[in-house]
Amino acid sequence: MVSEFVFATAQYESGDWDSAPLVPANLIDSVARYTSLAVAPTGAIVALASDGLFRFPLVFLTGHLPVRFTEAERTNLRRYADRGGMLFVDDHNHDIDGAFHKTAVEELGRAIGPLAQLPNTHALYSAFFKFPDGPPNTSHELNGWGDNLVHSHLLAAMRGDRVVVLYSNKDYSSEWGYHPDNKRFLSIDNTKFGVNVIVYALTR
Amino acid sequence: MRPLERVRRTRRTLAAAIAVRAALWGVCTAFIVGAIGIVMTRRAEASTAAVWALAAVAALGVLVQLLAAWRRLTVPRVALWIEERVPRLEYALVTAVDPVGSDALVSAALNERIAAISWQSETRRAVLRAVARPTVAALAALVALLIAQRVDVAAARRPSNASVSTTSTAIRDAPAPFARLVAVVRTPAYAGGRVVRVESPASVAALVGSTIALEAPGSGDGIAADLGGASVPVRRAGDTWQASVTMGQRPALLRLRHPSGERIIALEPKPDSIPTVRLGAPARDTVMRVARGAISLSAETHDDLGLVNGGFEYIVSSGEGESFKFRSGTLGARSFGGATSGALGASLSLDQLALKPGDLVHLRAVARDGNTVTGPGVGASETRVLRVARTGEYDSVAVEGAAPPEADKSLISQRMLIILTEALEKRRPRLTRETLVSESRSIGRDQTRLRRRVGDIIFQRLGDDPTGEHGHGPGEEPAADTAPLRGDSVARDSSRRAAVRAGRSARDVAAADSADSARAALLRAASAATGSGEEILDFEGDETPVVAINRPLLEAYNAMWEASRELDQGETGRALPPMRRALEAIQRARQAERIYLRGKAPAVVVDLARIRLTGKETGSPSVRVARSPADPAAARRAERLAAAIELASRTPAAAIDSLVLLRIESLDAAPSLAAAVADAIEALRGGNDATALLARARRVAEGGVRRGAVGAWSGAW
Repeated sequence: MVSEFVFATAQYESGDWDSAPLVPANLIDSVARYTSLAVAPTGAIVALASDGLFRFPLVFLTGHLPVRFTEAERTNLRRYADRGGMLFVDDHNHDIDGAFHKTAVEELGRAIGPLAQLPNTHALYSAFFKFPDGPPNTSHELNGWGDNLVHSHLLAAMRGDRVVVLYSNKDYSSEWGYHPDNKRFLSIDNTKFGVNVIVYALTR
Repeated sequence: MRPLERVRRTRRTLAAAIAVRAALWGVCTAFIVGAIGIVMTRRAEASTAAVWALAAVAALGVLVQLLAAWRRLTVPRVALWIEERVPRLEYALVTAVDPVGSDALVSAALNERIAAISWQSETRRAVLRAVARPTVAALAALVALLIAQRVDVAAARRPSNASVSTTSTAIRDAPAPFARLVAVVRTPAYAGGRVVRVESPASVAALVGSTIALEAPGSGDGIAADLGGASVPVRRAGDTWQASVTMGQRPALLRLRHPSGERIIALEPKPDSIPTVRLGAPARDTVMRVARGAISLSAETHDDLGLVNGGFEYIVSSGEGESFKFRSGTLGARSFGGATSGALGASLSLDQLALKPGDLVHLRAVARDGNTVTGPGVGASETRVLRVARTGEYDSVAVEGAAPPEADKSLISQRMLIILTEALEKRRPRLTRETLVSESRSIGRDQTRLRRRVGDIIFQRLGDDPTGEHGHGPGEEPAADTAPLRGDSVARDSSRRAAVRAGRSARDVAAADSADSARAALLRAASAATGSGEEILDFEGDETPVVAINRPLLEAYNAMWEASRELDQGETGRALPPMRRALEAIQRARQAERIYLRGKAPAVVVDLARIRLTGKETGSPSVRVARSPADPAAARRAERLAAAIELASRTPAAAIDSLVLLRIESLDAAPSLAAAVADAIEALRGGNDATALLARARRVAEGGVRRGAVGAWSGAW
């Protein structure tokens, strides 16, 4: 039986989990453009504390505001990671020492484990497209917005050799937050890295 | 030297002797108290810290008591003390140092007599007598202390039913150097430095950072120790040998090797639990209409070893969209001084926070323990969110706002279409007719899309279905698109509404008539605006607001229609004037009042069939690696357990070692298996039948969920 990949956005109790509503459609569009993966045409929203979380191999979590998981969310997330799921977290706030970053890193550490730099030679960066220099930079970084840093690495929590939490300070939520039809105006598709994340989550 | 100065010097010597004597008696007292205390506390497996504290207090008491003799060392008393031991002075010294004094002649005679007599030898003898006895006593007390310690070790060597993990099997099978092995476990200082003795240990469970000293009688010659491959020094201490290690954060094996055999000891770290914190108030998240006054905060916290401090943390988030600002702070901080439980309380002043509508306050209680080894452990409560309602929020709380216009839809702007058309017009002489028409039609299709959007906005404002202009599929040209908006379309529209009227109430019919009227006026205005209508209407006087708002867009709409028609025929030159008129009309529309409709963002449904594999770039999927089973180590553990069970019937000692190894490796990954194996080890060590326990361990080892080698989502690839 061929199961269809559904791009899921995590809904959590605190913060603005729905701050990047166009990212799912944009990544779904990219998956369809570049791969033959069977993918649902719309994304889904799943509460972190619900059992529905276990239906999705990859869950996207973003926001600007502080992240404070409830105990139920924390427990569910730990089980999700243990059972093979992958959480992709992006700091939409991307601010200097921002509240999202501090609280999300703390909460993920408590729920799953400490985050560490993911080497730029990791299989994630060659899962579909090749990113020899690691995670692609975003216009927000290059323009000096937010924390004024061009982050050279993503962070990750591992279970064995598998990434269970991929954490980005690069504000992909803003970078990818446009209607997919507008992709034709870009000389270089900036969502290709999103394809890598999805392909990695589905195949490793 | 004058007699008074000589007496004062003797007084200083005597004072020093008193001090030395007091110190020696104090040391003696401390040793005796320590020796007694060690014996008593070791038997009760209590901490020796209290014993040494008591010894110090006793020593201090003795010291203070004996130093009181200093008060008696006045000059006349010292002079008398000297006269008593040197009778030849015949009270000349006492008279000479008498504060009343005497005349110069007498003084000179006394000084002459005293100068001829020395009392240094008497003083030296007295000093030696004073310190000799306490010195001997202190030495004797030291010996007693050492004996007490040795008596204690000897007592530990005796077989005891109270030992933690000693079993006859282990003792019988252990090589001679390890037969009477004892582990002395001292917890970290922050946990009280408590000492626990484990006799003949197979495993030692202790807090991370604990010191574990393994000792046994003998010289230690030929014994080597290693912890996880790293060598551990073996020292000799009297007639025992000792190897000390510190408990790490991961389970480890300590191996003691000797030519006569090997001993394996599992070190099982017990992590220090972080404090648990429960926020009592506020009990739930809250939305406040006005952020005034104060909110009472309370929380309870508990820790297994001891709390150091705690308090409340808050983060205030202000802003919306892409612009947020944060403030954070703490309040109600307090120290717990090592108590295992405590309460936190504070008052959060909303006035001081100066909250504005829309602000969020994330609030939680935190507590820290005294863990200085791996910590401090920080525990936090659930987070409560206090939100200040936005202005007008309550007025529309039950109303789901309309979706915003789909401004993000990808459309080439009118300005861009003009640029493209102008470029094509320039290239026109060099292009074939076929190429020109093809490219011109491509621009025309984009012009048509943009026109539809303008039409959507116009119809939306009329209250119609935003897609009412063209209820058709992609690529289809609707009937309405075949002509610009003209007054004659009112007839069709009215007919449609007439059908609606049938079966509707009078009120519905009136509403439909009203809409018809507005629509008719709008369409007539469209015709008039482009000058193509038969009837020219003057809107300056009594045009409706709907028409006023839409008039520039209507002009743009019809100009776009005209441009589309020309582009469709490849007439780029003729298309440009109406295109420019459309742009100018849109610019005028921008000056009009804007209407923003807030609501949920429209769900974007990706047209997969249209875009499938249309990407310009090609990825190269990496070689796919089959996902490994969820826990490949579980299978290996089960195999090793089976091998150990096989071994148990032949060589129980070897089986025990294998099980200990398995247990230490399972502690993190499979704690339930580790517990089951521990029970089996205990039974084997006790020489009991371990069949049932081993069978249970095997069920635990093999009971995990099995899954195939291919991931659950692999079918999609």
